[in-house]
Amino acid sequence: MSDLRIIDIEKRYQAVQPKNDASFMLRPVRLSIREGEFFSLLGPSGCGKTTLLKLVAGLLQADGGEIWVGGENLTNVPPESRRFAMVFQQSLLFPHKTIEDNVAFGLKMQKVGKKQRLKAARDMLEQVGLAGFGNRFPDELSGGQQQRVALARALVANPRVLLMDEPFSALDPGLRKEMRELLSRIQKDFRVTVLFVTHDRDEAFALSDRIAVMGDGQLRQVGSARDLYERPETTAVASFLGLRNILSGVLKNSRFASSDGTIETDVTKQLTDGAYFMVIRPEAIKAAEGNQLGHVSVSGIVQELKYGRGMYSLKVNAGNQLLECVVTTTQAEKTAVGEPINLLVDMEEVWFLKE
Amino acid sequence: MKKHPQLLSLFAFIALIIFVVVPFVPLILSSVSFSWRWPDVLPESWSFRAWEYVLNDGRTWQAVGISLWIALIVTAVNILLALPAANALVRYPVRGRWLFEAIIFAPIIIPPFISVMGIHLTFLRLGLTETVLGVVLAHIAPTLPYMFRAVMISYQTLSADWEDQARMLGARALPRFFHVVLPHLLPGILAGASLSVLISLSQYLITFIIGAGQVVTLPILLFPFVSGGDPGIASAYSLLYAAIAIAALVGMDAALKRYYQLNKAPQDLAKGGKP
Amino acid sequence: MWRKSKPYLLLLPAAATIILLFFGGIFDGLLKSFGYFPAIGETELNLAAYDRLLHSASFWESMELTLRVAALSSFLSAVIGALIAVALFFLNESMKTNSPKAWHRLFQLPLTIPHLVAGYIVVLLFTQSGFVSRVLAAFGWIDNITEFPVLVNDPFGWGIILTYAWKEAPFVSLMLYPVLSRIHGSWREVSRVFGAGNWQFIREIVVPAIMPGWAIATFIVFVFTFSAFEVPYLLGVTYPSVLPVYSYQLYTSGTLSDRPEALAVNMILAAITILLGLVAYYFSKRWNVLKGWG
Repeated sequence: MSDLRIIDIEKRYQAVQPKNDASFMLRPVRLSIREGEFFSLLGPSGCGKTTLLKLVAGLLQADGGEIWVGGENLTNVPPESRRFAMVFQQSLLFPHKTIEDNVAFGLKMQKVGKKQRLKAARDMLEQVGLAGFGNRFPDELSGGQQQRVALARALVANPRVLLMDEPFSALDPGLRKEMRELLSRIQKDFRVTVLFVTHDRDEAFALSDRIAVMGDGQLRQVGSARDLYERPETTAVASFLGLRNILSGVLKNSRFASSDGTIETDVTKQLTDGAYFMVIRPEAIKAAEGNQLGHVSVSGIVQELKYGRGMYSLKVNAGNQLLECVVTTTQAEKTAVGEPINLLVDMEEVWFLKE
Repeated sequence: MKKHPQLLSLFAFIALIIFVVVPFVPLILSSVSFSWRWPDVLPESWSFRAWEYVLNDGRTWQAVGISLWIALIVTAVNILLALPAANALVRYPVRGRWLFEAIIFAPIIIPPFISVMGIHLTFLRLGLTETVLGVVLAHIAPTLPYMFRAVMISYQTLSADWEDQARMLGARALPRFFHVVLPHLLPGILAGASLSVLISLSQYLITFIIGAGQVVTLPILLFPFVSGGDPGIASAYSLLYAAIAIAALVGMDAALKRYYQLNKAPQDLAKGGKP
Repeated sequence: MWRKSKPYLLLLPAAATIILLFFGGIFDGLLKSFGYFPAIGETELNLAAYDRLLHSASFWESMELTLRVAALSSFLSAVIGALIAVALFFLNESMKTNSPKAWHRLFQLPLTIPHLVAGYIVVLLFTQSGFVSRVLAAFGWIDNITEFPVLVNDPFGWGIILTYAWKEAPFVSLMLYPVLSRIHGSWREVSRVFGAGNWQFIREIVVPAIMPGWAIATFIVFVFTFSAFEVPYLLGVTYPSVLPVYSYQLYTSGTLSDRPEALAVNMILAAITILLGLVAYYFSKRWNVLKGWG
């Protein structure tokens, strides 16, 4: 097994600061990424995800910790000898070399013979759908094609780990989707381990086996897309993943009361008494009246009604709380902005957080 | 102005021609004249004797050779000195950056002969006077700042990402330099080289002090003629000297254009260089 | 440790070379200007050379000539350079192109001509029996060689001034032309919107825009001509001579005891050029003229 193991790697700011926590660019990170896994680092800009990626690559010198692949300690191995590959936000194709020479560059550095490496390059170009482009120069290709070449160039030398730093963020949305599908297919074909950096939640969700959510220079939570979305560990993770229905309140004797009085309900989950945040996914709310078992009823005024992808998203002012939910087109047609509405929250689907 | 743009630009063009080109006319006439007495505007008779003298004299070609040889060595040394220094100042946080820049750019402001006169006796003691090596050493300070500036500007347009990308493809320091950095810097290096060659070619005083008349470059050979020698020969030498200076410049320029055509490249590297 | 000191190690060869070959020479000269000549047993430092120099009439005459030549050269270069830049601007205007074309190179020709050759060109043009004098005679404006003024190897320094004006004017235009073509786009719009006449436009927009670059370019020409040797050596008279030539005369003609004075002249020259350089640097930073210049 050649898992990628990141053991307590950390990075401080270069400027010498008083000994406090603010001096960390990246707090110690411990991660184990399985061989062939597609693993994403997800977080807002400045959260340290690119720093972590460059530490794994060796392009930045860590202030502590180790990087292992399988049984090999790579911490002090220079980046050019790690047999990793990396795709950057810009395609960074060498402009004075043809597409073929660009793709073959990694093999040339490994002193693979010319015939062999050019054949490998042509095969790889075919894989990314650019057969026959080999003799062109980078500036004759579109942005999407250039990024495909960059991907081919990264994969041709059969790297142990493929690092990707927001590789599709410079492309327009339609192209981005196409590139995701291509990457997904190729990653499965080649069984390459991928460490992927992005700030785009949908991108991470669409591609990854597991995702690490990062914020403020540390790992917040690691898990599958579904784990993270349905069982976030902190409100910070929840709100970064787009969950806005977060109600603070107090749980006492299996009964939760939100501090603004919007919701008061029995809780069947086994939780100790104390202060909690209740997280309600928009999908856990439906527009309906009456009492249903395991549901709590909330009423409010419709504040915003927006159409998107076959569903309406609704913002409802309930007491002091703004709740987001999704309703079908039929339900949406029955209401309008400014009208009262009754909602039912499925208590099976709500999630309680301590912080 | 708006009514007669054609007339105006014609006038501007003629004025520019008079300013730039006409001064060369007496130089050319004088080099091919046989006897040219005042007040004749054109020579009475023509002759190529001055050119024959200049082109057949072995000293001429020796001087051309030594001048170019010195200029080339100086330029090569400048490249070797300027590349790492420009790299350091562009890529690394350097304490006292202003001091390093002040040191390297100082010879642009302070005339180099001041330093050369001061160091003359030391060079004499070290046996460096009357040698090509001594002259090369004297030519480095006045030329290095121009090379340094050209290379530094090139470095500034090369994002570190390119080198990182090459590293991630397994390129060690040397291949990285030759495959990625050098192709990008080449236009800057050539621009710096043409300035370096031109300035080295035009040094008279410092060459004379250190070479002590034994290292005969073109300006040294030329001076006795222009300061009261045969006007025909002086003119022919002047034209030859100017032609070599211009040829050096045009040659570098052509090399640059050809490089762009062959590799259609470094401008694009510069374009995409700063993401 | 290696990572920390790496940039300094990379800078070391270039900096050490300049320090050793250039500042070493200046320091060497400085010591000798204080009379420090261990070779002839003089190891005491004194200001005798400076004292003699500052009390000699020839030094002050040299200083006056140098200042005059530099001032007139830079003034003429500035005027002609601006004219060239404006002429090129109008030529491009009428040719409906914005980009600098190959023939622009032609007008930088004087820049590439070595100084000695430029000096000799002025000799052939402006001696009393020179080309200009012949042309004037051909038009019947002068009848005798002696009617043409002495402009070469003259005590005033006209020959030197003319050479520099010819050679440095293209440099000034090179610094001005980019500014002119940058304001080119707003030319018609502004004059249309505000109904401004061409001269108003020139006064209100063109002149303020090119002024800083113009001043700095002129200043650079001044500093250069102030300390240049070749052209005054060729075109000047033996007495008075500009400071660099004066220093050279002292250095070579006299005995060893004249050398401290020559080196003292050099030190004064160096001090003045450093001062002028700092002034130019200060204003160019302040006016943001030399973008991309070091």
